[in-house]
Amino acid sequence: MHGISAEDKELALAVLEHDQLAKAKDTQYARRKLKGGESVVLWSLRLYLIFMLAVVLYQIVSGAR
Amino acid sequence: MNDPAAVINSSDQLVVTHEDVDRAHDRARVLDARSHGGLFSRLRLLWLLIGPGVLVMLGENDGPSMLSYAATGARFGIGFFVPFIILTFLMAVVVQEMTVRLAAVTHRGHAELIFERFGPFWGWFSMLDLALGNFLTLITEFIAIRAGLGFFGVPPWAAVFSALLLLYVALMTHRYWTWERVTLGLALLNLVFVPVALFTHPDWHSIGHALSTWQPLPGGLNKDTILILLADIGATVTPWMLFFQQSATVDKGLTTKDIREGRLDTVVGAMLAALAAVATVLATAPLRAHGMSVENFQAADFAQALRPIIGHVGAALFALGIIEAGMVACITISTSSAYAFGEVARRPHSLNLPIAEGKAFYSVLFLCAAAAAAIVLIPGLPLVYVVLIVNVVAVLAMPPALLFLYLLVNDKEIMGDLVSPKWANALALAVVALLTAAGLLFGASVIAPRVLTVLGGH
Repeated sequence: MHGISAEDKELALAVLEHDQLAKAKDTQYARRKLKGGESVVLWSLRLYLIFMLAVVLYQIVSGAR
Repeated sequence: MNDPAAVINSSDQLVVTHEDVDRAHDRARVLDARSHGGLFSRLRLLWLLIGPGVLVMLGENDGPSMLSYAATGARFGIGFFVPFIILTFLMAVVVQEMTVRLAAVTHRGHAELIFERFGPFWGWFSMLDLALGNFLTLITEFIAIRAGLGFFGVPPWAAVFSALLLLYVALMTHRYWTWERVTLGLALLNLVFVPVALFTHPDWHSIGHALSTWQPLPGGLNKDTILILLADIGATVTPWMLFFQQSATVDKGLTTKDIREGRLDTVVGAMLAALAAVATVLATAPLRAHGMSVENFQAADFAQALRPIIGHVGAALFALGIIEAGMVACITISTSSAYAFGEVARRPHSLNLPIAEGKAFYSVLFLCAAAAAAIVLIPGLPLVYVVLIVNVVAVLAMPPALLFLYLLVNDKEIMGDLVSPKWANALALAVVALLTAAGLLFGASVIAPRVLTVLGGH
């Protein structure tokens, strides 16, 4: 990286935790598998949101009439 | 604990960027303050670490939120909604505290954690909710700015252009610390609603009665009450807040040693924001006593309507508060969009980035705001209705967002010993249940209003 002095680099490595470094984020956390119950709740809330957005749309349309 | 940096550590090829150096200078001051004892050092430490929590809470006291509170005061006066609004801020503290812990432990933004742990399928759903919600909200922020500056005779195009210019200036510091302090200074102007409330000579006995009894609720439980109820919840807990506070906390560089100050930051922010919110309700409560209909008001029209009651100075302060609310939220919400974009696109995403290294980050941030600003210049938008609906949509999108937060903060692999304790989980699930129930009640009020009669309403 251009323009970074040795002093600044030393400071960054001294005071930042190593997984705080911007480049550390190139390494990703491993994917976790959703449990059955978690998937059910996630899907339920997703369907809830879609349904409720339709309700909001209905209210807007009926309000406009 | 799963440490993604371990690979880099072991390879002994640590790359330091400009972003890291800026953050390191901020962290050095924190470590210095922490190394000294005494009250002054503790206050200095708090001063250095406060920021994301206050910003997110005052940022959420945005244009549509202040308008919701103003509509609440004008329609219902001093009563049920005063303690209810305080309750919504308690909910916000419960939720936002989790983002502080997630950020301090993982040093990852909310969007990238959802993508990494749950995969792109669920990740894109979350992004869609965030992008849509943020864009709609940004439109309403510019509506507020336009209306507020309109009170002072500023034409709409000039109002919108001024807001974009201020956003641009804030970004051009390309330094998180400076950006945070400038925005914090601006955000504290949210408290301008307190003197406005005092101008109305509020009835302290009524306030005490409302706080102790949650009464009165004029009109009882009906369709309008539920719309305001949801709008007031949406004025306090919304998905962008989760994404913003976690990403800003990461950008600021908080670690597990700073969690206590991060929590304090969140609580202080909630207290300030609750004060401004309740003050807004008190400020517009006299409009109800004067029999004025809330349907006639748009953002700055509240200021006009209040002029005969609190005088020109009070009305001007109210309009200034509306401008500030829109401006701060414009900055924080567009920043949350840019953080999320950078995290998902795996592009550099930090307010410490020099312009050349953060072109994509800064462009997304500015273009989101500019697009929203352009829409506001379209004549004939139904302003009050739009802002109330935006808050309602925010409440509806909250339960799915909170579930991801709940799963992440209880993920032992990434959180280690800092997973949520049982009491915190119980509170978080109570918030999810309350928000879902409020959403369903809203749905029932629209589709089958008779349900409200069964529930004791009208």
